[in-house]
Parts: sequence; structure tokens; C-alpha cells
Amino acid sequence: MVLENDSFLEISRQINNPQVQAWQEDHKKVIGHYCTLIPEELLHAADFLPFRIRATGHEETDLGDVYMVRFTCSFVRASLDMALKGMYDFLDGLIICNSCDHSRRMFELFNAKVFNRDNFKKEVSRFYLVMPHTISDEGFDWYYNEIKRLKNELEKLSNIQISEEALIKSINLYNKNRKLLREIQHLRTLDGPKLTGSQALEIYMANSSTPKEYANKEIERIINELESFEGIKSAKKRILLIGSDLDSTFFTDIVENSDAIIVSDLMCYGVKNFADDVILENGKEPLECISKRLYYRLSCPRMMNDHQRRLQYIKDEIKHSRIDGVILQKINNCDLHGCDNMLFSHELKELNIPILNLDREFFQSDTTRLRTRIEAFLEMIK
Amino acid sequence: MKDNENRITHITPYKVLLEVLDSTYELANNILPENVLYSLKVGVEKIMRVLSSYIEKAKNGAPIVGYHFSLPSEYLNCFNIVPICIEGTSYFLSTLLLNGVEKYYDIMANYGHPFHTCTSQKGTMGMTLEDLFKFDAIIAPTSPCDCTIASYPFFKEIKNVPLFLLDMPYIHNEESFEYYAGQLRLGLEKLGKVIGQEPDYDQLKKSIEIENKVNQIKLEIFELIKANPCPIDNMFNAISAGTSIFISGTQENLDYYQEMYRITKERYKKGEYYGGTEKIRSIWPYMITFFSVDLLEWLNRNLGLSVLFDIFNYNFAESINTKSDLDTLYYDMARKSYQWPMVKQSTQFYEPFIEDCITMARDFNADCFIYTQSIACKQFGSIPTLLREALMEEVGIPTLLIEFDAGDERMTSIKTFKQKIEMFTSTLL
Ligand code: SF4
Ligand code: SF4
Repeated sequence: MVLENDSFLEISRQINNPQVQAWQEDHKKVIGHYCTLIPEELLHAADFLPFRIRATGHEETDLGDVYMVRFTCSFVRASLDMALKGMYDFLDGLIICNSCDHSRRMFELFNAKVFNRDNFKKEVSRFYLVMPHTISDEGFDWYYNEIKRLKNELEKLSNIQISEEALIKSINLYNKNRKLLREIQHLRTLDGPKLTGSQALEIYMANSSTPKEYANKEIERIINELESFEGIKSAKKRILLIGSDLDSTFFTDIVENSDAIIVSDLMCYGVKNFADDVILENGKEPLECISKRLYYRLSCPRMMNDHQRRLQYIKDEIKHSRIDGVILQKINNCDLHGCDNMLFSHELKELNIPILNLDREFFQSDTTRLRTRIEAFLEMIK
Repeated sequence: MKDNENRITHITPYKVLLEVLDSTYELANNILPENVLYSLKVGVEKIMRVLSSYIEKAKNGAPIVGYHFSLPSEYLNCFNIVPICIEGTSYFLSTLLLNGVEKYYDIMANYGHPFHTCTSQKGTMGMTLEDLFKFDAIIAPTSPCDCTIASYPFFKEIKNVPLFLLDMPYIHNEESFEYYAGQLRLGLEKLGKVIGQEPDYDQLKKSIEIENKVNQIKLEIFELIKANPCPIDNMFNAISAGTSIFISGTQENLDYYQEMYRITKERYKKGEYYGGTEKIRSIWPYMITFFSVDLLEWLNRNLGLSVLFDIFNYNFAESINTKSDLDTLYYDMARKSYQWPMVKQSTQFYEPFIEDCITMARDFNADCFIYTQSIACKQFGSIPTLLREALMEEVGIPTLLIEFDAGDERMTSIKTFKQKIEMFTSTLL
């Protein structure tokens, strides 16, 4: 099977990986974050490695549960659990934004409980980025100011002035990364998809945990390998997956081990992250261009006045990727995706496309109920 | 005329609310002795007066505008509208109707709306889905929480109601006050265009001046609450939440607070406690049980437990300057919005909240905290342990944590509430 035991995909199953270690051995810092709305190009230009916090494979929340009530998203509790157990001690910095009510409180909890542990001596820099909840011109001005403030703080931390040249270099590197990921996406949507949804997800996750210089080479290599692969020829049902973040393949595997393949998505690690590039505009600061892409790109449900655009994307994607069925899913207690999914479930009815709306936990030891519902749904698709 | 009569059917739940308030008031006034449930008697009468005037306005064709409670309702007095508090309707009906508004929560659950979102919106959403409310527009800030804001697009996407969301950055500083001042102004102007009215700033200033006075009186009442025994009844918390949400900016709200101050002062002078002897002084830094506010009465009478205040009552904003230019007015309005119950706590970091709690525990001589964690309030889901640790360390007082749904008894019943509080307080006496 193509990509089986691929070393790049393997990174997605680890947290601290050899690429991170090599980066730090080079006396460079790693900054953790929860949200794709942080300007990675800016961090890169200051010689920091942005590292997206995951809880992949972590099956416990016991320590996390001491500080977060059970109505909190189990992904957030699992990641706090890991941090309290020292598994994120390798971070040199942390950026939290008010992405959602669950994850934004990690700012205070990391402050009070993770970085304040008796035996933890390292100085970890922390930044809080305040994101608007709506998309508007005024909102952009606010966001851009926040990014400028972050730039100042990063400059203080790194002791370097982040130059325009450095930013442009980072933009080019990241644009290339997005272009490669779009190629991967293209290979997913072919009539005979060249990779599964699980494999694509692992590529996205590994990409978010490694320096882009390395990731770009690896993804190029993978694309080359995939090009000579004839593709998955069976008559599997083509699924569009929407909703809460997934940072392991437990859910996608359930779908794909049944009679289906996930060919596209609207998820945090997925398409919206690389659908468009930073466009350098004449007379505009590179930092403004970086901010524009992030702020105006295809949004997630935390942007409360942008539901129609997300709906339109889904409708277009159903046509473009020849989708047979839509799976809307969310982690229990995720308000943002829960509310958005509810609206989609009604709005998509006019397309007469089969829809499944599911709740799940971040980690589920017993997946029988999920599997049964997914299998029943897939059987329903003609 | 017939058309306008029909418009009352656009606010059917307000009519129901008025009717149940009326019977509650009749009952309380005619059956109970004068000094029993006095906050309720004073407050309900004022709320009823304002609601009746809204129903008259609806009859006369005024636009029906829904708002989130964190937009102080006096700001909407710059328009001739019927302002409908989305959250207030759900929760006041949940307390006053025999089976609450569970039916409407269930309607929304069957519609696919997540069960873990706030019942304070869910009730009104269900009523709107059933066409019991027909809004001409809705205006709401993007606070205090995700499940609130994420619920509002339902009105727009499913019911085609023009929706104005005022972006409110989750941080307290000068920039956010300035930014939100701009959002308020833009939002009110846009709302005005949709309903075909210009904001009447003289009217707005009058309402704000009333609330400036209310704020002063509240501060004086809170000075009296510091006394042992607490001179005010627990029910004051529920009723003043109601007046702040429904009738702020009206003369009736000012009358309510003036009357409550007069009563409290008298009781303070006589050293009177409501319901026997005060045994325990508690602070509820979050919410009371809206699905059953009679718990407050029970606590007073059966346990001698004072609820000194809850989240809806301990927020005090600086006065708004109504004598200056429009920019200053909006800036002050924005600042005040950031001090509004729940918005204050949820748009900033935990530290100030915990510090406030410690200061209040000392100032009000509290014996314990009772922290009610509502299933919907995720932004508060990581504070109970930190707060408990801080209160024990700094003031040496314990915290009881109860998980519940503030508007739905089916999650944690009032019986369970009573048992938990009884067990907890028995360890204090
Ligand atoms: S899954 Fe939902 S609740 Fe959990 S972190 Fe993501 S947006 Fe927040
Ligand atoms: S903060 Fe809590 S009670 Fe208030 S609206 Fe949000 S979920 Fe409901």
C-alpha cells in the first residue's frame, strides 16, 4: 500500500519529533499554539518554529479534569493533561488566541498550573492574541494591530528586527507549502483518489509539527510517489468531512474501513488552511498581506457572521469533488461546530445529499456506536 | 388596526410572561404577609408596567427587536421599538411556568441544536421556530460566550431576521473600549436603517441618566448588604437580575431600586434578618437557579443562608457622561458594556475575577462560596478549581461546586441542589 510506514506520516503519530529536536539543538526556539489564525510566516521570519499543539494518541484526561469541568472539550482536556504531565515541556513559547471558549482558557491554565509546576524551571514566553469574532473592515484593523503587537513581542524575545526581506522569504516558503498541500488535495479528489483521508490528515498534521523547509521536501517526495500510483479504484462512497478538529486517524479510519473514502473536508487541519496564498500587494507591508490572508480566508465557525460563505464552500465542494455523502461531526460540547453543523444539516437538505450529523469524543475507546451509525449511513447512500 | 392587533401575536411569549407575572403578583400581594417576598412584589409590579407598555407599543406597530442581555437595554431606548430580551424571556418563563420552557428546549434539540448550548437562548429559539416570536431585527454583542454568539445565526439563517453582531474583543483595555464604542455606534445606526428610524440621542441620554442613578443606589444597597445580618432577602438577586435585563433605563427600574433601598435601610437599622436567624453568608459568583428561584426563599428560611449576591448583581459601572459629545457617550457606553454581568468576567482573564472574589469574600464577610457551573458556560469551565484554591488559601473559606443547567431542572433538580447545599453547610456550622 502506498505511503505505508512513510517516515513523514509517522511524525503525525508523535508529539515531540526529531525535526523539533534538531531545531532546538540549533539553539532555536519552538512556539506552541492551538489555532491556525496565528501568523506562522511571522514566527518563521523571527527564526521560531510554530508547533501546533495536538493530543494525538493521548488517552487520558485525569489531570486535565482537575482543572476543567467535564463540559469542556475532551481534546482541550487531553492536551492540558499532557502539558501537566510534562509532555509539552519542550516548548519555549506559547501563543493562545480566543479561538474558542474552551481553548482560550489554556492561557491562564498554562500560566497557573503548567509553567508554575514545582519542578519546572524553564522560562516560557506567552502571548495572547485577541481575535475578532466577525469579519469586517474594522475587525481587520483590530486583527492587524494584534499581529503588529505580536511582532514587537517576538522581536523582543528573539532580539532580532524582523525585516521585510525575512518576511517575504517566509511568505514564499509558506506559499510553496500551501501549493504542495493543494496538490495533495487535488490527488485526493481524483476519480481514483491517490490517497485516503486518513493519509491526507497525517500529512497535514506532520506538516504542522515540522519546519516548512523540511516539510516541503517531504511533501514533494510524497507527491512524486503518489503520481506513479494508479489510485484507489474501488467504488467507495466519496465523503466530505466537516466539523471539529481531528488530530488522529481514529475517526477517519472508521469511515474509511467501511465502504467510503474521505476525499475532501472543511476542518481545522484541512483545506481552508492552504486554499489560498499570501498575495504580496504593491504598497502594502508584507505583514499586512499575511494578516489579510488569515483574516479573510475561508473561516471556521468562530467567525460568527460568515456562515453563508462556509455553506457556499460546502455546496461548491460537493459538486467539485463529486461527493456522495456529507458527514458533519463534532467533539461533544463543542458549541461552535455544533451550532454551525445544525444549520448545515438543514441548509444542505435542498441538495438532496445524504447527511450524517454525529457527536464524538476526542478519544473513544469504544467506537461501536460510531461505527454502527457510520455503516448505516453509508448503506443508505445509493 | 386589525393588522396592528395581529402584531401582538409576534410577541406571544411576552404576553404569556405578563399574564404569569400578573398572577404571581396577585398571589404574592393578596395572600402573603407584607414583609414576605417583598423584593418580588416591588420588582414584579415594575416589570409588569414596562412589559404592558411594550405590548401597547407592539399593538401600535413599533418594530420588534430582539437583543442579548449583555447589550444594556437602555441603549435601545434611542429607538421607538419593542425590545425583547432573548435570554430574559427563556429564563423568566422557565421560572414562572409550571414545566418551565422545557418544551422549547426539546424543540430545538429535535431540530439538531446542540444540547450543551445555553438554555437562555434555546427557549426563545424554540419559540421563534414555532413562530411565537417574529422579530423585525436582532442585535447582540459577540459576548459573553461562544454558545451565545453561535446560536444567534439561527435567527438569521433559518428565520431570515436581520442580525447585527457587535464585535467585542475579549480583553479589557483602552483599545477594546474604543473599538467596541465604534461597533455600538455602527450597530445602532445599521439597526436604525433597517427599522426606518434615526437614533434619538436625547432619549438615549435620558435612559442612561436613569441608570447612572440606579448605579449609585445599588452601591448604597451593597454597602448595607455588608452588615450582619444581611438586611435584604435572597430573592432580591433574582428580581434585580430581571429588572436589569428587562427594564434598565426606565423610570420603573429607578423606582424599584429606590424602594428597595428604602426597605433595606429600614431593615438594616432594625438589624432584621429575612427568615429567622442568619447562620451562613454565601456568595454565588456565578448564577442562581433560574429554573426555580424559590430556592432562594428556601435558603433564607430553612438554612438561614444568605445569598449576598450573584453574578447579575455585583457589577458596577462608572457613570456615563451624557453632557459631552457623541464620541465620549459611545466610549462610556462601551466601557459600561464591559462591566455588564457575565461580560465582565468572560471577556477578561481569570486573575481579576479571582481577585474580585477574594476582595468580596473579605468585604462582605462571607463564610463560603457556592459556585454553580452551568453546562453551557464553557469559558468558566476551567475556573472552579483555581477559585476554590485561591479562596481557601487567601481567605480560608470553602467553595461548593454544583454543575447544573441554569434554565433546565432536568439536569440537576432543585432537590439535589438542596441536598448538596444542606450537606455542605452542615460542615460549616
Ligand atoms: S473541538 Fe470545538 S471546543 Fe474543542 S478546541 Fe476545537 S473548537 Fe474548541
Ligand atoms: S455565559 Fe453562560 S449563561 Fe451566559 S449566555 Fe453564555 S452560556 Fe449562557
